[in-house]
Amino acid sequence: MGTLSKKALLGSALAATILAGSAGALMAQNKPVIATVVKISGIPWFDRMETGVKQFQKDNPDVVATQYGPATADAAQQLQIVTDLIAKGVNGLAVVPMDPSVLEGTLKRAMDRGIIVVTHEADNQKNTNADVEAFDNADYGRALNERLAKCMDGKGKWTTFVGSLGSRTHMQWVGAGEENAKKYAGMQLVDANNESFDDANGTYEKAKEILRKHPDIKGFQTSAGNDVLGVGRAIDEAGLSGKVCLVGTGLPNPSQDLLESGAITAIGFWDPQKAGMAMNSVAKSLIAGKKIEDGANLGVPGYEKVKVIKGPGEGVLIIGNGMVIADKANYKEYLF
Amino acid sequence: MRNTGGQLVMLIVINVAVLAVGAAISGGSFLAPFNLQSMAGQLPEIGFLAIGVMLAMCAGNGGIDLSGIALANLSGVVAAVVVGKFLSSTDPSSAYSLAFIAGALLVGLIGGTFNGLLISRLNITPILCTLGTQMLFTGLAVVASDGRAVAVGSPDLLSEIGNGLFLGVPISFLIFIGVAALVAALLKFTPFGLWLMLMGTNPKAATYAGFPRTGVLIATYATSGLLSGLAGIIIAARNVNVKWDYGTSYLLIAILIAVMAGVRPEGGYGRVVCVVLAAIALQLMSSMLNFGGLSNFVRDFAWGALLLTFLAVGRYNVVGFLIPDKSTKLV
Repeated sequence: MGTLSKKALLGSALAATILAGSAGALMAQNKPVIATVVKISGIPWFDRMETGVKQFQKDNPDVVATQYGPATADAAQQLQIVTDLIAKGVNGLAVVPMDPSVLEGTLKRAMDRGIIVVTHEADNQKNTNADVEAFDNADYGRALNERLAKCMDGKGKWTTFVGSLGSRTHMQWVGAGEENAKKYAGMQLVDANNESFDDANGTYEKAKEILRKHPDIKGFQTSAGNDVLGVGRAIDEAGLSGKVCLVGTGLPNPSQDLLESGAITAIGFWDPQKAGMAMNSVAKSLIAGKKIEDGANLGVPGYEKVKVIKGPGEGVLIIGNGMVIADKANYKEYLF
Repeated sequence: MRNTGGQLVMLIVINVAVLAVGAAISGGSFLAPFNLQSMAGQLPEIGFLAIGVMLAMCAGNGGIDLSGIALANLSGVVAAVVVGKFLSSTDPSSAYSLAFIAGALLVGLIGGTFNGLLISRLNITPILCTLGTQMLFTGLAVVASDGRAVAVGSPDLLSEIGNGLFLGVPISFLIFIGVAALVAALLKFTPFGLWLMLMGTNPKAATYAGFPRTGVLIATYATSGLLSGLAGIIIAARNVNVKWDYGTSYLLIAILIAVMAGVRPEGGYGRVVCVVLAAIALQLMSSMLNFGGLSNFVRDFAWGALLLTFLAVGRYNVVGFLIPDKSTKLV
C-alpha cells in the first residue's frame, strides 16, 4: 500500500500540473473584477450576452469582466458559482438569476462583504444594489401594438396570445396593447388572451381555429417566445402571409423563415448583448462609488436615458428602453 | 476487502493535490480562510444526500435512493408552509427554528420509511421505487407550495446554522461531520451495521441466517430519508427560501460521490469517511474550476474522468498494472 500511495501521488501530481497549466491563465489583477453569472451557459441567448460582456471588456480595459454560467439549468448550480465567486473576491457580480428567491441568502452575504450586486430579469430581487430591466413592460406592449396597428392600417379584427393567464409580464404586454388599440376606432379585439403555454404546436392549432372562426381576422399580437412560430405557421399554411399581420415576442434566428415569407410582420425582443453590457456598466459605476440617477446614460444603445425607481429591497430598479422591434428589413442585424 | 485502504489514500491524495493546484492558480487566495469556510459551507447539503445514497447502495439488491433531493425539498417546503401557519419567522424566540427543524426531520423520516416499506414489504426494485417516490415527493412539494418559492426568512437559530461559524468553522459543516461520524459509528459498532453489510454481500445467506431483512431495509431507507431532511434544513438555512425544484442536478452528483468513494454498487461495502472525502474532493474541484474561470462543462468532464478512474482503481490494480512493482506481486 505504501507503493500504491506513492504512485498515486505521482499520478495526481502529473494531472495537477496539466490542470494548472490550463487554468492558470486568469490571474488576480489590481483592477476591479466584475463577474457576470448567467442562468445557463451554452445556449444562444446567453452566448449572445457573452459577446456583450466581451465587448464591454474591450471598451473598458480598466476592469476585468468575464462571464460564468452553470452547465445545467439548476438554481443550485448557479448558486455554487456565485458562492465561489464571492469567496474568490470579485468586486462586482452581474447576475441573471435562474430563480431570484434561491439566490437571496447568498446575494445578501455578497453585499455584506461589500460586493456590488447587479441583477437582470429579476425585478422582485430584494438583495441587489440595482436590477436592470431592458424596458418598461407597458411601453413594450404599446410598441408591439403600435407596429401591429401600422400593419393593419388601424382597422380590422385582431386577437392576443399570452403564455398563460398567470404570466404577469405577458398580461402587462397585451393589456398595454389593448389600451393602445383604443386609439384606433376601427380595431376590434376578438377572443382575447388565448393561452399558448409557449408551445409552438399548440399555438399553431389554436391559431388555425381562430382563422376558421374569424375568416376576416387581420392581426395577432403574441407574447411567449414560441407563439410567433406557431401562429406564423398557421398563417403561412393558410396562404395569408402578408394579408394577416402578426407581431409578437420572438427571437431572430428561429423566426427567420417566417419573417422572409411575410407570415411574421415583426418580432419584438431585447438584446441580451446590450443587457450584459448595461449590467456591467452599472456595476462599474457603482464600484467606483457613483450613483445611477434618473435619466442617466449607461453608454449602451437602448440604455442612454434610463428610468430609475425604487426596487423591492434597498436597491434601485433601472429601466432602459432596450426593446428591439425587428422586421424583414432589419432582423439580420440581430441574428442569434 | 481489496483496495479499501487504497481508496482512502487515493482520496486524500486527490484532495491535497486539488488544494495545491487551487493555491497555485489563485496565487494563494484559494487557501484563504474565507474561501475554505465558503467551500465547507457549500458541502453539507450534497454530503448528506451522498451518505443517504451510500446507505441504500450498501443494502444490496440494486439498492439506491433517487428520491434524496426531492425529499429534502419536500421537507423544507412542508416544514416552511406548516410552521409558517402557526409561528412567524421574525419572532425573537427560537420556537420557529426549532419547529421548522423538527418538521423537516419528521417529513424526511416519514418519506424514508415510506421508501423502506415499499422496498421491503412490496419487494419493489429500489431504483424503480425511489424513482416513483422522487416524482411523488416533487409533486407533493409543488402542491404544498403552489409551485412558488416559500420564504423561511432568517430567524436567529436557522441563520446561525446556515451562516454561523464556530472557532472559524461553519456550523453547518460541523453538523455534517458530526452526523457523518454518527452514521459511521452506527455502521461499525451496532448489529444494524453488520446486518446491513452482510445482507448487501449475500442477501440469500442473510435470509437463511435469519437476519431481520425487513427491519434492516426500513431502517436503512429511513436513515437516508432523515439525512434528506437534514439537507433540507441546511438548504433552507442558507438560502432563506425553499423551492421544489432546487438542486435537480444533485441527484446524479450524490451517486457520483458514492461511487467515487468506493461504495460497491452491488452492495455490502462502503465507508462513510470515504464518502465525506469524495464529497470534499468534488467540492474542491468545482470551486477550483470556478476560481480558474473555466467553463462548467470542463467540470462535468473532469468529474466524469475522475469517476471512471475511481471505478478502474476499485476494480483493478491499475497502478500496479501501469508500473509493475515486484514487492506488491504477492498481494
